[in-house]
Amino acid sequence: MTGPGWLSVVTAVAGKDLRIEFRTRSRSLTMAGFVVLVGVLFNFSIDQALVRPQDIASGLTWITLILSGLIGVGRTFAIEKEDGALAGLLLTPAPRDAIYVGKVLANFLLVYAIVLLTIGVFGLFFRLDYGNHPGALLGILAAGTLGFVALATLFGALTASTTLGESLLPILLFPLLVPMVVYGASASGRLLAGRPVAEVAGQGRMLAAFAVLAVGAGAALFGQIVEE
Amino acid sequence: MTADPAHDPATGAAPDAAPRRADGLGVHALRRRFGPHVALRDVDARLPEGSITTIFGPNGAGKSTLLKILAGSLRPTEGSVTWRGDALDPRAAEWRARIGVLSHETHLYAPLGARENLAFHTRMHGLEKPDLDAALARVDLLDRADDRVADFSRGMRQRLALARTLLHDPDVVLLDEPFTGLDSHASRLLEGVLRTLRDGRRTVVLITHALSEGLALADHVLVLVRGRVAFEASADGIDPDGFAERYHGLVDAADVPGVAP
Repeated sequence: MTGPGWLSVVTAVAGKDLRIEFRTRSRSLTMAGFVVLVGVLFNFSIDQALVRPQDIASGLTWITLILSGLIGVGRTFAIEKEDGALAGLLLTPAPRDAIYVGKVLANFLLVYAIVLLTIGVFGLFFRLDYGNHPGALLGILAAGTLGFVALATLFGALTASTTLGESLLPILLFPLLVPMVVYGASASGRLLAGRPVAEVAGQGRMLAAFAVLAVGAGAALFGQIVEE
Repeated sequence: MTADPAHDPATGAAPDAAPRRADGLGVHALRRRFGPHVALRDVDARLPEGSITTIFGPNGAGKSTLLKILAGSLRPTEGSVTWRGDALDPRAAEWRARIGVLSHETHLYAPLGARENLAFHTRMHGLEKPDLDAALARVDLLDRADDRVADFSRGMRQRLALARTLLHDPDVVLLDEPFTGLDSHASRLLEGVLRTLRDGRRTVVLITHALSEGLALADHVLVLVRGRVAFEASADGIDPDGFAERYHGLVDAADVPGVAP
């Protein structure tokens, strides 16, 4: 008996989650709608004669990433709870860390697509100049998104089995996101201000390390959390 | 009341001294608590290999708890499980590759099609080139293979769940109330599929309230009442009417205040 391959389980779980999302659009439409509404509200609430949007765009982008991500990732286990799908998944010999990484992969692709939408919406409303290093900015946001999604998926599994459910998720998650937001908002703010990439390389490495640590910790703990 | 392996004049059950195959699944002094509630109380039982063991019992008797422990979904508070006489860790991946579980919940993804659900399950078991068409035909769902499960009736979902349960050709099949909510057509189809499992190779544990269906399929019978084994016997030559009378007597006795637990 060979058992399922680790990578095969990762791609199967991610593919299944994305296929379900593509069909139901339950999370992506809500997240996209939230981003557009936030863009509209920020557009009206910020007096652009007094404040340069370029100076606050980084912070707004990270806040939007986290809040819209919470909406999406918070519901990642909703479909798994229907008719005991997760319980069925756990009755198979599939490695628990591979199931977790598959869900993180699907959530990352979903949230990162929303991050790209956020950049587009904010660019439209605030006429932002993404500077000379859009690739570096996207890289910083990708590392931040991965770190966020890794923790949110893990805590989403934890809170899905509680009566408080999704309302408990931000309370558990936000304190752990502080270092990521500090490094991420600072790095992307500098890039938006036109500073050189070398100036944010250290912050980028810290973000990447945070993301790797979050995925590793999530993979190690997921099995303990979802099993009784 | 504990198991009485002696010949039972009421049911006609034969002594169960000679198992069909050595040991099979065994549970020993199994105890499971949920807070102050004790679901299983020092359960000792043997579920012979290569046969169908039907477990009867009223609601709250601990049947599903026992099945979940065998499936590795729940840990016992005390006691152990053995397979062929050796200690078993029901949470081990090797064990999970050998079992198929059908429970109250279908474990299906409603937005996916029937074939997609089975294909996903094969990936979780690492199966190579599974014959999904044959699996769907076995439960009479081949013509609905590409339809979403969300559009299926309860009976169709249960049939698909059965196909998923058996897809990886498990050695041990654990079935929790598989007849619940099924119409007569689906019940007959399910019964037919369950009969095919009686191949002498597979160990089947069936939990049901349906005395006649459960008895008709059983090689071995177990009755749980209030978390204890109240009756255990081979199903050979068992008289259905006598068994029903005995079963209701056991359940009624347990309901009398002061008699049980």
